[in-house]
Amino acid sequence: MKTFKLPDLGEGLPDAEIVRWLVAEGDTVKLDQPMVEMETAKAVVEVPSPFTGTIVKLHGQPGDVIQTGAPLVDIDDGSDAEAAIPAEGPKFQEAAASVQPAASASQSGGSTSGNSSVFHLPDLGEGLPEAEIVRWLVATGDTVKQDQPMVEMETAKAVVEVPAPQSGVIAELHGQPGDIIKTGAPLVTFGSIGDKGASTVSEAPVEAEETKREDAGTVVGSVQVGNTIASESEHQVAGKTVTPVIRALAKKLKVDLAEVTGSGPGGRITQADVRAAASNKPGSDKKATVSQPRAAVSSATDDPLRYKASPAVRALANRLGVSLAACSPTGKKGSITRDDVRRAAGSGAQPKPQVRQDAGLPNVSVTASPEPVRGARRAMANAMTASHASVVPVTLMDDADISAWPKGTDATARMLRAIARAAAVEPALNAWFDGERMERLVHPTVNVGIAVDTPEGLYVPVLTHAERRDLSGLRQELDTLIGKVRDKSIKPQEMQGASISLSNFGTIAGRYGTPIVVPPQVAILGAGRYREDLRLTERGISKCRMLPLSLSFDHRACTGGEGARFLAAVIADLQLPQ
Amino acid sequence: MPAVTLIEAVTMAMAYELEHDRDVVVLGEDVGVNGGVFRATAGLQQKFGKERVIDTPLAESMIAGLSVGMATQGMKPVAEIQFLGFIFSAVDQLFTQAARMRNRTRGRLSCPMVVRAPYGGGIHAPEHHSESTEALFAHIPGLKVVIPSNPSRAYGLLLAAIRDPDPVIFLEPKRVYRLVKHEVEDNGEAYPLETCFVDREGSDITLISWGAMMHETLLAAEQLAQEGISAEVIDVATVAPLDVETLVESVEKTGRALIVQEAPKSGAVGSEIAAELAEKAILHLLAPIGRVSGYDTVMPYYKLEKQYMPGVDRIVAKAKELMEYV
Repeated sequence: MKTFKLPDLGEGLPDAEIVRWLVAEGDTVKLDQPMVEMETAKAVVEVPSPFTGTIVKLHGQPGDVIQTGAPLVDIDDGSDAEAAIPAEGPKFQEAAASVQPAASASQSGGSTSGNSSVFHLPDLGEGLPEAEIVRWLVATGDTVKQDQPMVEMETAKAVVEVPAPQSGVIAELHGQPGDIIKTGAPLVTFGSIGDKGASTVSEAPVEAEETKREDAGTVVGSVQVGNTIASESEHQVAGKTVTPVIRALAKKLKVDLAEVTGSGPGGRITQADVRAAASNKPGSDKKATVSQPRAAVSSATDDPLRYKASPAVRALANRLGVSLAACSPTGKKGSITRDDVRRAAGSGAQPKPQVRQDAGLPNVSVTASPEPVRGARRAMANAMTASHASVVPVTLMDDADISAWPKGTDATARMLRAIARAAAVEPALNAWFDGERMERLVHPTVNVGIAVDTPEGLYVPVLTHAERRDLSGLRQELDTLIGKVRDKSIKPQEMQGASISLSNFGTIAGRYGTPIVVPPQVAILGAGRYREDLRLTERGISKCRMLPLSLSFDHRACTGGEGARFLAAVIADLQLPQ
Repeated sequence: MPAVTLIEAVTMAMAYELEHDRDVVVLGEDVGVNGGVFRATAGLQQKFGKERVIDTPLAESMIAGLSVGMATQGMKPVAEIQFLGFIFSAVDQLFTQAARMRNRTRGRLSCPMVVRAPYGGGIHAPEHHSESTEALFAHIPGLKVVIPSNPSRAYGLLLAAIRDPDPVIFLEPKRVYRLVKHEVEDNGEAYPLETCFVDREGSDITLISWGAMMHETLLAAEQLAQEGISAEVIDVATVAPLDVETLVESVEKTGRALIVQEAPKSGAVGSEIAAELAEKAILHLLAPIGRVSGYDTVMPYYKLEKQYMPGVDRIVAKAKELMEYV
């Protein structure tokens, strides 16, 4: 049987709380199977099983706080050894990685003393007298590689992993989690030569390397160590190779590098050369400009950097389609002003070519300006933004078989009636929802917002009390509302208070869609263009007329079942002949 | 020439000055026997003795006050604050004494002192250990703020900082302490202060950074080059006072500027650079001045620090956005 102890869940945190057990006593668990959800100060994490076996005992109930290193689960893995196994190895690599200290940090105090092969606790970098064992990452008998983390030790500052100073077999661990080890006291004994054939201390190259390794100053955290040897970058200035420092110094001292003779190795210019050149300069030369060649300014007229112009001027030139090359600068320091651009535009100066061609069709330049979005279009933009920011939409799509409809059936009125009847079957979709206050209002009446497309934008007049009206009553009210929208006499009140919406986009085109729910409403039904279809029935293939439906609803307010039941009720009503 | 890491270059520079200038002393918590929290002063006390490499109590205000006292009397103290996050109790001494001593005494006294502090994130450290608060010091007249980005500059700039007649806050980007080595000749040659270094020449966009972020910025420039975008890369090095001229010259050439900093976005050194460029290079700007930075929130613990700190991807994406700006 083995005891699995709560590992450090990766934060150097002292404890964690049991949220819930995912296994019970007597269960068989597999390697890596999640056993328990634990909550740390940071997150809820699932703790996987470190081995395959049968759960013998769970140490603690949900709500209990377990100390890191305390027993969590007893597992019978069939082994005789009664061993307490700390969380280890690959399953917790991610956790371990985040507390990894100085990557290849060896420890100044750490040493395996000669052939005794005992590794003593090094000074973990703070000059601290001692450290506490948090958990062992290796067990007696394990073969370890040099630099492999052996144990997590907690100092007054941080939890650090102590890497193996050498490759070898672990013969003895000096202490249990929770024990305090003095700096310089034995921590790990490595096995004698020949143990499992592993290489050990006496292997000369390892030892030699050990003594050479640098003290990386293990402190809080981990400083990445690299071995790349680089050097100061170099550039060509005035035909000479110089470092950024030489260049900066020359600029600072206003020395022309072209006139400096290098005295360094290979004729390189040194700082002393630049300083000497600076002190030799006549005093009157103070204003001499540094002749470090600026990048050659392009002579192409389409290079915007050839012209001095503020961003606003450049924007204006772009908007008017005027090339800066066509403007005569009248501004300060030869800059182009907005007036210069306007003059160039007014004089019919050659417009900025949009398409560059050597031959063929002549250039065409078109200017299109943005226009402000106002009125209904603006209201639509705002409503859609609000919807997108809050609603969690789901769209269900299905067809109603309307083959039974007599000729001349008023499709929109039928849809309105279907919505009203479906709302009676499944009221959850004929509702308002406030996600911030977590409130829901299920409407006793059915007030349908009907999307009406106009050149000015989207209007949504509200047909009230749909549940009380028959088909002709619905048509009558609908005509009244659409008439008001067309002649713009509709009042704002008549476009408020919808409890559910209908978008009959199929009168234009489109089969299915994903209509947008407009809060606080929670549902919208979209009807696409009906089609003739062939359908497999019990009597064989029959021709039928299908009306595609798309129902979007806010999943924060309605369950999938409610949505589907609503849609089924809509279909059932639509499929009636009358 | 030995190949040394940035932190070894720091040690080398201090050893050189201790050797050649009797006025130089090194002081701080654990800098002596222990050799410093990051080993920046390793071996210095053994070599130069307890009177010149001084272990202090754990009291940053005292370390700064002691340095002000010694500096005004002609010594050249080099103080270590273990992490920049611990400097705040020393800030009173630095802002109200060190920074204004020359002005207060009308030039009779000055403060030739250096305060060294490792700073920045990316080493999985706990709270308070990862911030980049260089802007606090850059804001104070009388303080110079110098940040090396590689071993050669750490050596040259620290020598210059120690020799400077006024107080210098020398911030060491600890994430790159041991990341790369340079062959540095221990010849005592200082680098110029108050100047930027152009590390890579380019014609399409100027990438401006300092400290550890120079590493990512140069990698980003390399990646941009592969996509046909020629980026000029400038290491600001002395973030206060700024060498605006070099920055403006570059942006006049490229027409675009992208500032990369690890610090939070607002009220930072990058903000100041953006303002200077807006004032002095506006007629040449083809796109807004871009910034890639940390976020305006407390530097997170190490699990999220990679998300917080600008990476190559963020720099490349922003540079491309500026390139596509019409």
